[in-house]
Amino acid sequence: MASGEGGVEAATIAALREMRRARRRRYVEEIDLMEALYRIYLGAVFGAIALGVLGGLIHEAPATDQAVEWLRHEGTAVLGAVVAVAVMIGLRTGARGGPLAIEAAEVQYVLMAPLRRSIALRATALRQLRIAALAGLVLGAAAGNFVFRRLPGSPVEWIACLALFCALVPVALLAAASVASGRRWGASAAGLLGLLLVAWSGADIIFASATSPATMLGALATLPLQGGGGVAMASLGTVLVIGLAAIGLLGLGGIRLEAARRRAALAAELRFSAAMQDLRTVVLLRRQLASERPRRHPWLRLASERSTRYPVWRRGWQSFLRWPSARLLRVALIGIVSGVALAAAWRAAPLALFIPGALLFVAALDLIEPLAQESDHPTRRRLLPSSPDWLVRGGLAAPAAATTLVAAIATVSAAIAGGGSTALVVGLLLWVPVGLGLACCAAFSATADPFAYLLTPQIGYAVTAAPPVLAALLVGAPLFAARETQRLGGSPEGAALGAGIFVAVSAAVGAWFLGRRFEQRDAVVG
Amino acid sequence: MSAAPVLRARDLSRRYDSFPALSSLDLEVGGGELVALVGPNGAGKTTFLTIAAGLLEPSSGAVEIAGFAAGSIEARRALSYLPDTPVFYEDLSVAEHLGYVAALHGVGEPGPRIDALLNGLGLTGWDEALPGELSHGMRQKASIALALVRPFSILLADEPFDGLDPPSRAALLELLARARRDAGATVILSTHRPDVLAAASRCVGIRDGQLAYDGVADEAAISEFFSD
Repeated sequence: MASGEGGVEAATIAALREMRRARRRRYVEEIDLMEALYRIYLGAVFGAIALGVLGGLIHEAPATDQAVEWLRHEGTAVLGAVVAVAVMIGLRTGARGGPLAIEAAEVQYVLMAPLRRSIALRATALRQLRIAALAGLVLGAAAGNFVFRRLPGSPVEWIACLALFCALVPVALLAAASVASGRRWGASAAGLLGLLLVAWSGADIIFASATSPATMLGALATLPLQGGGGVAMASLGTVLVIGLAAIGLLGLGGIRLEAARRRAALAAELRFSAAMQDLRTVVLLRRQLASERPRRHPWLRLASERSTRYPVWRRGWQSFLRWPSARLLRVALIGIVSGVALAAAWRAAPLALFIPGALLFVAALDLIEPLAQESDHPTRRRLLPSSPDWLVRGGLAAPAAATTLVAAIATVSAAIAGGGSTALVVGLLLWVPVGLGLACCAAFSATADPFAYLLTPQIGYAVTAAPPVLAALLVGAPLFAARETQRLGGSPEGAALGAGIFVAVSAAVGAWFLGRRFEQRDAVVG
Repeated sequence: MSAAPVLRARDLSRRYDSFPALSSLDLEVGGGELVALVGPNGAGKTTFLTIAAGLLEPSSGAVEIAGFAAGSIEARRALSYLPDTPVFYEDLSVAEHLGYVAALHGVGEPGPRIDALLNGLGLTGWDEALPGELSHGMRQKASIALALVRPFSILLADEPFDGLDPPSRAALLELLARARRDAGATVILSTHRPDVLAAASRCVGIRDGQLAYDGVADEAAISEFFSD
């Protein structure tokens, strides 16, 4: 009987492999070669531009002795903390059924077949690990190419170590997710375990020790600066990640089908939205994948809940007051990280002042959701006894106020992170206009019609890319102007004030255009 | 009912957040039965079927299929599940789907079985069609064929008659009757259709997640169940 069942399983595995091979063949046959080459061409052009900009940002002057010493003694633990955060994210993803996103049909027919699920899922999981490791490898090698010019050590050492480190970080994340998913850990247990690892790595930073497994992997990234002890530690870290990946692969069969079905449906929509460059839907589906649902009971009830005054403004805040704690934390964290990054960029790399704007744009996309939902329902909008621009501009108010709060968090964080009183004053002059500008950019992105440029995809790409680029400029340009004014002996506050007024006026013009966009769209529909 | 039940649910409960979809449900179904699962919308029928299929986990309690825990390899070998919404690979034709699912379940020569199903369900001529080319009713028929193409001792079907025209409904009832007659298979299906209820050997009513009726599929009794 057992051998009979084994034979059936072998036949099932053979059928599975044959079908997967056939589908892959068909997929390859159906690829449009010219389209693929065009995408590679675009990727190469933008990649070269990105590398060029990065090259400009990182001066090739050797790092100071102080910086090298810091990297040697604390860099390992700091990078270890980054690994620990990645593992924590992985554990949380696993508790929600990740990291695999299997086709719905694969769940229905393959995972319901009389076949061990660990075998059925292994190829998919291995492919995911392979792609993640390869992407990390390339990124790490590129980073190593910049780093060896500033730090002691040979180019080969830096490129190899950073490539391996960057390949292993996503592997650690995916492996942690697979372990949590396969062992069916609950969200609380997985979150707690992740937090413990982060705390352990944090303790390594504070006590300048290397006890956490994540710190051991961090040693790999700074290996060219370490002595012989570093090799042993980095090897141990590497072995631990590979071991974790093996445990994850072996335990794949424990996956919850309920979560797999939910992820299958969402992942299919996510791929479609990504293909359509529909940023807002990508954010929305990403949120659903993370099981982020509005709270059943709001954090607090608005006193004017039954009032009929300012309904659009109240509707926005009612939405925010039902945010789950994870989303609140994420947006606050974006504010803090942006502030710290801005302070660091002000001190060391002024061109990097343009990067946190893109990060704040991600928070603004979350905050613009109430207005974006109005955009989703044109019929409801057109049935209102008022013009759509009233609804749109009114709908911008609550998100703009909330984005301003995030900009305030960034300002305070920048001041605490070493920006001092200059950061505080410049930030105070800019946070309101920047908040308004970010809300406008997010509104333009979230209310864009993803099907408007189906026949002219190049214009579609530009329309999708414009809001985050504008957001980066809105945040970066005033700060860059203030920084340069200070460097030239002028008043950074004066420059910030002038730039702030310009940004505020631009935001007002943007809000007007946004209302016009809706008026025109509804007129076309009508 | 035969001695060993093909499906046994014991003290089955399932909550969605604070909403109880199923509460302490006990049910045994024997070999060869055709059980019609009825109940108002949101009563817990789909939740019960997906738990029994092993796709959803109960909050408490357990389901056994042919003596094995729902979701286990042995249970999957015995059970076929027809979901309320058809699920397909968008790049495989109807015939490829059928061949694939048959192969996954170890059917050696699936050709005659596939032809019989295509013919019986009125899908002849559509075997090379991709799912995207099928109408709602055709998709439902293809989904039914996928549930029937493999051997099973119990079939769980969630609203299998939705979207089918009267001749297709009759054809499906005939296929189910043949599966019961020839292979002694058990069929549990959720439905609201009187013609299907008439064909059922037993009717199980669920309301508010609890077993509210278990008896013959008598029209008057069912009407009373819904009017309560």
